[in-house]
Amino acid sequence: MTTVLFVVFPYVAIFLAVFGGIYRYFSNRFSYSALSSQLLESRQLFWGSVSWHYGIILILLAHLLAFLFPDVSGAILGTSYRLVVLELIGLSLALYTAVGIAILIARRLTRSLARVATSPMDWILLFVLLIQVLSGIGIALADRWGSLWYLSNAVPWMWSLARFSPEPNAVSPLSLLIRLHILNGFLIIMLFPFSRLVHLISFPISYLWRPYQVVIWNLTPRRPGLTTPSLQPAAAFAGAADPGSHSYSTAADSADESLDMAEPESPSRRQLLSRISLAAGALAAAIVTLPSVAFLLGLLKPREVWRAVGAVDSFQIGKTVEVSFLDSSPLSWAGVTAQTAAWLRRVGNQEFIAFSLHCTHLGCPVRWLEDADLFMCPCHGGVYYKDGRVASGPPRHPLIQYPARVNAGQVEILTSPVPIMSFNQPLRRKPCDS
Amino acid sequence: MRFLKRIWEWIDDLTGASAALSKPLYHPVPRARKTRWLYVFGSATLAVFLLQVVTGVALASGYVTSTGSAYDSLQFITAHRLGSFIRGMHAFGASAMIVLIGIHTIRVYLMAAYKYPRQMNWLTGAGLLLFTLLMAFTGQLLRWDQTGFWTAVVAAEQAGRTPFIGNWLGHFILAGNTVSGATLSRFFAAHVFFIPAVIFPFIAIHLYLVVRNGISEPPKAGQPVDPKTYRKWYHALLQREGVPFWPDAAWRDAVFALLIVVSIAILGLWVGPPELGKPPDPTLIDASPRPDWYFFWYFAVLALIPSWLERYVIILGPAIFGLFLILLPLLAPNGERSPVRRPWSIAIVVTVVVIIFHYSRVGQVAPWSPRFETQPLPPAIVGTSSGPVADGARLFYSKGCQYCHSVSGFGGIRGPDLTDAGDRLTREQIKTRIFSGAVNMPSYNGNMTANQLSAITAFLESRHRLGAAVLPQPVNAPQ
Repeated sequence: MTTVLFVVFPYVAIFLAVFGGIYRYFSNRFSYSALSSQLLESRQLFWGSVSWHYGIILILLAHLLAFLFPDVSGAILGTSYRLVVLELIGLSLALYTAVGIAILIARRLTRSLARVATSPMDWILLFVLLIQVLSGIGIALADRWGSLWYLSNAVPWMWSLARFSPEPNAVSPLSLLIRLHILNGFLIIMLFPFSRLVHLISFPISYLWRPYQVVIWNLTPRRPGLTTPSLQPAAAFAGAADPGSHSYSTAADSADESLDMAEPESPSRRQLLSRISLAAGALAAAIVTLPSVAFLLGLLKPREVWRAVGAVDSFQIGKTVEVSFLDSSPLSWAGVTAQTAAWLRRVGNQEFIAFSLHCTHLGCPVRWLEDADLFMCPCHGGVYYKDGRVASGPPRHPLIQYPARVNAGQVEILTSPVPIMSFNQPLRRKPCDS
Repeated sequence: MRFLKRIWEWIDDLTGASAALSKPLYHPVPRARKTRWLYVFGSATLAVFLLQVVTGVALASGYVTSTGSAYDSLQFITAHRLGSFIRGMHAFGASAMIVLIGIHTIRVYLMAAYKYPRQMNWLTGAGLLLFTLLMAFTGQLLRWDQTGFWTAVVAAEQAGRTPFIGNWLGHFILAGNTVSGATLSRFFAAHVFFIPAVIFPFIAIHLYLVVRNGISEPPKAGQPVDPKTYRKWYHALLQREGVPFWPDAAWRDAVFALLIVVSIAILGLWVGPPELGKPPDPTLIDASPRPDWYFFWYFAVLALIPSWLERYVIILGPAIFGLFLILLPLLAPNGERSPVRRPWSIAIVVTVVVIIFHYSRVGQVAPWSPRFETQPLPPAIVGTSSGPVADGARLFYSKGCQYCHSVSGFGGIRGPDLTDAGDRLTREQIKTRIFSGAVNMPSYNGNMTANQLSAITAFLESRHRLGAAVLPQPVNAPQ
């Protein structure tokens, strides 16, 4: 069940959000809008919308930054003073948001015009958003400290999803309320392409600096239910604009805004069937593809185990020898490739250095030249000194060291991944210092 | 015969096969005249691809996709007479495919057949070129010997240079943290399923586009492509002097394809498949991984470019090449097609071909690689079997100098030939170089005793171009 909820469901949600969003963009581009009902009612909308948006944007930003920069966030939350202050700010914003969503729901319930223009999906969306805000507040009050568990459990889990190496157990220790909050969050992501949430990526940043403008409704409503006298353009316009104020509108502006107001034309039966067919096909493809891709990517489980490579006394001080041992995850059919090897140098009574066989240039196996005290790579001629430093040739990094220790009279090496030299620096293991 | 004809008519009636095939088969093509044999490389590539499919399926039926057993199964296939023949054909087929698709690409580029309306032909062809290279690379790895094993590591290391996701990508290629049980299966799946699954639709689209847009006519100087009028002009050309593809043009394709297939079969039979190296045992460190010949040039480039440039070349090199292939038909959709009016295209082709040939040769020799197989210098070369010169010769070998430096034909070629070091260098210069090292030579400071240094210096001083070694006189010897 954990796998279904915290692996399959998030991937399905993201898949639907991405591909559903793309499909909607190309099939019904002008519906990428908040479908504002400002002209139907503006006073309550102002209090609800402003509270909601200012609060939720800051809260989402905090979640996003902590996800992207967990180390920095951890450092910021490192002291109890900062932790408490930030938690209080978060709780305040959550309450502010809750007030906003409550006003928006009340407005849709009490104002007949707004209620008429509210679709079933709008109600579903308002409900899950309310659940999300309330569960967030509940966590802030009951499961302290939310920002810390978010960093320690939820962020690693989300990164594991992003790396296609899901680790659902990371969220197992969390309380039911927190897990509900997480799942509801992905439900909101899933609803993205099917609701007015798509306005999230329409990026109306230009609203911040564009001149004040008056919205003019110049389309005749088509839905019979909306053709009430109070919805006539003149009435709506009279309430929205001050005749004495300086106002203007461009053709494009009025077209955009009027599209916000006009309900999309009901799709014909064929359009509906087409969409159902495409959605069914996409869903079936996702059901088949996602587990396959996840399996393909799921073989990347990092695992490190200590392997004994010989008794301490079998190694001479100052000598470098090749040692072989089973790799970290030997498979029964791996044959000789289940073995791996390292260069082991005894530098003291209890001190050993284990070098990776792999040249840090392109990974070829380096050879140890006993009399020359050098490692040499057969591929491109990289040479290293006995302590792993680069002596000559194309390598830029010293040989990678594997952790080595003495345990119960045996020398042990920690099995490690093949050292992949990244674009900027070696990963996973620090190269030996010069 | 009549019975067979009736069967065919029955099938044709039910399937409409002849009606469906008649359009592509009999579509008119321009008369190419002098250049007509230049048009056979694309179809020959397709023929070799089909050969690869057939021989590949046969090989897959005997190949065990297990890191522990693949090597043994390849030995089993090779030991079988027909298995060896099929392996040989598959290996030479891979080489032929690389050569043919390369020539086909050059032909299309020089004739500017990527211009309107054939841009999409070029783009799908570019995709096929890329997939062919990927097939060649993954195929080399399936030859699961020591080279195949280390090729997987080298591939992961190169992928590791990708910014941001390099480490993840490298281990994804290995199907884990190390080369292990899952690695070979991953490459096998890529070679047999994933890449062919893309190649087949690309070939289908490519062929469809060839029929739809027509085979390009031989370019003529002063006859530029104008997208506004080209289709009409091309249609008139076909009306005027076009010939049906079948059999007027197809016979050349068939004859050339047969020639290629027969050549591959002969090579597969006489030369046989590439020899298997040592088993893929990661603990056997006396490995010298080398790519197949078609990647020698890349192997050389990675060895010879400055190390600071390497990460950019690994990532940006293929990216720029891919970008060039994509942008070419988009940025130059019209204008002159004749190479006579596009001399820079000839210059580019000549430059690329010369570079690839040159670096392929350099990569084959691999002068930068230490020659671990070199043997100690015999006394006849050293000039003596005792004394400091003989000691120096032994140290010259045991200290690894001879892996990179050659003396009288013995040793590596990474460093300068020291056959006549005594003529060129003074004692102090020799000592300084041994102590301080250089960019491509390690410093031996701390790796040698004073006596060892004196002995090696004495040996190198005794090396002269003309005649035998000149042995140093004892210090107190009477003059």
